[in-house]
Formats: sequence, C-alpha cells, structure tokens
Amino acid sequence: MTLSLFILFLEQGVASGLVMGSVYALLALAIVIIFKTSEAPNFAQGDMMMGAAYVALYLLVFRKAPPIVAIPLTIVVAFVVAALFRGLVLAKVAKSSGSPVNLVIATLGFSYVLRGLVRGAGVGDTPRTFPPLASTDSIMIDQASVTILDLVIFGAAILTMAGFFWMFAYTKLGRAMRAVGMNPKAAQLVGVNIGRIHMLVWGLSGVISAIAALLISPKILMTADMGSIVTLGFAAAIIGGFNSLPGAVVGGFVIGVSENLVGLFISSRAIVVAPFVAIMLVLIVRPQGLFGGRTSIKKV
Amino acid sequence: MVDLLEIEAVSASYGRIQALSDVSLKLQEGAIVALLGGNGAGKTTTLNTISRLVPVTSGVIRFDGRAIERLPSHEVVRAGVSQAPEGREVFKDMSVRENLDLGAHVRRDRAGVRADLDKALDYFPALKERLRQKAGTLSGGEQQMLLIARALMARPRLLLLDEPSLGLSPLLVQKIFAIIARLHADGLSILLVEQNVAVALAVSSYAYILENGEIALEGRSEALRNDEAVKRTYLGG
Ligand SMILES: Nc1ncnc2c1ncn2[C@@H]1O[C@H](COP(=O)(O)OP(=O)(O)OP(=O)(O)O)[C@@H](O)[C@H]1O
Ligand SMILES: [Mg+2]
Repeated sequence: MTLSLFILFLEQGVASGLVMGSVYALLALAIVIIFKTSEAPNFAQGDMMMGAAYVALYLLVFRKAPPIVAIPLTIVVAFVVAALFRGLVLAKVAKSSGSPVNLVIATLGFSYVLRGLVRGAGVGDTPRTFPPLASTDSIMIDQASVTILDLVIFGAAILTMAGFFWMFAYTKLGRAMRAVGMNPKAAQLVGVNIGRIHMLVWGLSGVISAIAALLISPKILMTADMGSIVTLGFAAAIIGGFNSLPGAVVGGFVIGVSENLVGLFISSRAIVVAPFVAIMLVLIVRPQGLFGGRTSIKKV
Repeated sequence: MVDLLEIEAVSASYGRIQALSDVSLKLQEGAIVALLGGNGAGKTTTLNTISRLVPVTSGVIRFDGRAIERLPSHEVVRAGVSQAPEGREVFKDMSVRENLDLGAHVRRDRAGVRADLDKALDYFPALKERLRQKAGTLSGGEQQMLLIARALMARPRLLLLDEPSLGLSPLLVQKIFAIIARLHADGLSILLVEQNVAVALAVSSYAYILENGEIALEGRSEALRNDEAVKRTYLGG
C-alpha cells in the first residue's frame, strides 16, 4: 500500500467512522442513562429506536407529513411511550420483585411487543428505505468524501449530546436524575419523586433513541429487525465502562471509527467483528472500561 | 397543646420479620424527644416509617394533625419532615454544595433557600471551606454534619436524626450536640435516635425506649436519668 493510499483510507475511515460513531454514541448514551438510574440494562433500546423509525416513516411517507411536523411528533411519541412503559409496567415489576433480572425480562418483553406491533401493522415485512432528511450530495473534506447528510447526522448528534450533558450537569432535573442514580434512598429522603424521575429518564432515553433513529434510518435498509444495530450501542457503552456517560460517547466514536478502518484496511467482511475486537482490546487493557469507576457491570 | 407528631399503634415488617409492633409515640412542637434502644430494636425502622421508606402494616402516623402514613415519601418532606439518616447516606460523587442544594429539592423559594444555605453553613462552619469538595471524600464527622445540614435545607418543622453521634470522637459528639441544642433553641422540633443514652437524655425532654420493636419504657428524660433500671441497662451502672 502506498503512503498516499494509506492516508486516503485513514482520512476516509475516520470521517465515516465519526459519522456512524456519533449515532452509536447516542444509542450508548440512551442505554447508560437508564442503566445508571435503574441498575438494569434496557434490552428494548434497539426496538425503541426501531419503533421510532417506523413512526417517522409512517408520518413522512404514508401520511406525507412535512419533516417539521413529523420529526417533533416522532420525538414526542417516543418520549410518551417510553415514559409510560416505565411508569405503568416497570414500576409494577420493580415494586413486586425489585430484582434486576425481572426488570431485564420486562424490557425484553417490551422489545417483543414493539417488534410485534410493527410487524402486525404490516409495514415491517418488506425492507423499506427511509427518505433522507438532507441532501446526499458528496463533498470533500481534504481527501475524505462525505455527504451533506453525513454532516447533518454528525452535527445533530453532537448538538443532542451537548444539550443532554448540559441538562444533566446544570439543571435541577438533571441533578435529581444524578441523585437517583447515585443514592436512591437519599434521593427519597430529600424529597425527590423517584417514580417521576424514572419515567423522565426513560422518556429522555426514548427521545435520544428517536433522534438516533431519524439520523441513521436513511443510511440503512429499514426492517423490523433494524433494532439490532443497538448492539453497537451496547458495545460502545461497554467500552466506556457502562456507567459513564462521557465513556458512552467516546465508546461510540471508537466503535464507529474502528468499524470503518477495518472495512477499508482489512476487508468489508471483517466489519462485523471489529466492534468485538475493540471491546476485547479495551477490556484486556482496562477491565473496567475506558471511563469505568469503582462499580463496573456487576449487576446482571 | 397539639402534638406535632403522633404515632399511634404502628406496626411494620420486613417480609416475615416483624420490626415494629404497636409503637405509639408523641412529640410536641418545639420539643426534642429521644428514641433509644439497643442494636436492632427498631429505631431506624420507626424513623423510616415516618419518612415513608418503610410501609406500615397497621397504625396511624399524624403530622400536624394530618395522616401521613400513606403519602409518598416526597410528600412527607414537602409537608415539613426531614430525616438525617444513619450510615453516611450522602451523594458521594457530588460536591458538598450540590448535596446541600438537593436538600432544598422540594422548595421553590430561591431567596429563602439562599438564606438557609448561609444559615446551615453558620451552624456547620466546617462545611463552608469544603463546598466544592466531593461529599464522598469528607471525613466521617463532616459527612454527619453534611447530612444534618442537608436535612435542614428543606426547612423542616420536624427533624428526624438517626444516631448523629455514631462513630464520632468525644469532641465531635460534643460539637454535634451543641448544634442540636442550638437548633432546639431556634425552635426546631427534633426526634432524636441515639445509642448514646446519657447525652440523649440530657438534651431531650421526653424519651421512649424500644426493645424488640416495642416501646418498653417511656417517660420524662429527667425521670429516666434517675431510674434504676435505665441506669443499670443503658447508663452502665
Ligand atoms: N432492610 C431490612 N430487611 C430486613 N430486615 C431488616 C431491614 N432493616 C432492618 N431490619 C431488621 O429490623 C429490625 C429493626 O432494625 P432497625 O434498623 O430499625 O434497628 P435499629 O434500632 O435502628 O438498630 P441500630 O441501632 O443497629 O441502628 C432488626 O431486627 C433488623 O435486623
Ligand atoms: Mg438504626
């Protein structure tokens, strides 16, 4: 391989990797905020994203709604459905058993319900293409070629993350969310309504998944199984330590970039194993993940 | 005079373990009442039934005349009851300042919160220099002070204190009890759980002694201090 080809591949791999990585980062963030506050991983995260993608598809394509209506509506639906699932179903499960295993099983159930709904509605059987919300014309960044859509994806993901981190760090609601994650008993003693906080955390996680869905759907073929892409969000979360929010973001970019570099330098058939090689490398060097603190994934 | 807190025949259990049976207790506005007893007697459980972390199986808890034993825990805080729990339950990865701000979570009056922060730091000057420090890195005594200060930030009418002297040096115990006396002088009502019976009987006006989840003895603190049985069992002679 010549040096110039090497540089071209490197630049292209990093550019495409950052775009996909920003979406993985969003998914990882959605997973980790739920894990931090409820100590159970949400295995419905992928299908929450898939469900949101189909809601958007329905509004944009079947109902011909303009994006300015369809996008906010999709986000609201994702918020409401996720918050209600936590408030009506998970709250009952937590109250009657409290064991994380039962919570995980409930999220698996939710995941099947969502997939069943999409299949039952008859829209999930044939693969569909999602209308891109920005132009797919290419532009060059140095030697790397990216589309306008790629830039929109990356920009929107970064903005979403920035807004989320600001909320989490500086608002009263964010502080209450952190308090519930850190010490739920103490949070109750200072008067935090933890049932409400759990619902809001789930709602927020639904919103982030919906944004990820809107961003990624134009780049993949839509099927009722598209939620499996969230595996890469889990991979990103693991790399970041599973309970670290900045870790989730960095993990997302690590996965995105390594996937693309492997695809270019090794083989496109090796792409699927890249994330798992990345996980193994990170876990060998730092078993607690890049940003993991004292408590790593000990529950479940 | 109307009782600020009135617990009537309250029972509570953890699964099959009966932790409280028919506990009754009263506290008048402005008083310090002590709740004493050995390890596992049910003192913490009693406070937690008031704070609604532990459900009651029967009985009534009234605060300021209103039944609170079915309210959610945040409503109890809103009603004016704050607890400084045992066991260093701070938000350890947050700064001392954030811990104190969380103490005021149920309040909307910004100016009042600001004033109460100054007041809390006036009671506990040691926290003043540590506002930006993570709560988990404070010493045991400092964490204990933070817990009380955090409870005060809700501007409670009734403060529930769970073993504030546990694990502290004699000097710090003195300091904490001097502050408790000051809070009392400033008009706060306090239900004080303690194993340090001598000190608790000295600051309180009335006391209850729990044994195996039941009230075994109660009376004016002064009288209990001179009671032969209490002296023998709890005051070491
Ligand atoms: N979460 C729990 N699950 C099961 N049993 C519990 C639980 N908490 C307390 N108990 C039991 O209930 C009884 C009363 O406990 P409690 O904590 O109220 O005692 P205490 O008087 O506060 O004791 P200490 O002075 O050691 O703090 C004990 O027998 C204890 O083992
Ligand atoms: Mg106790």
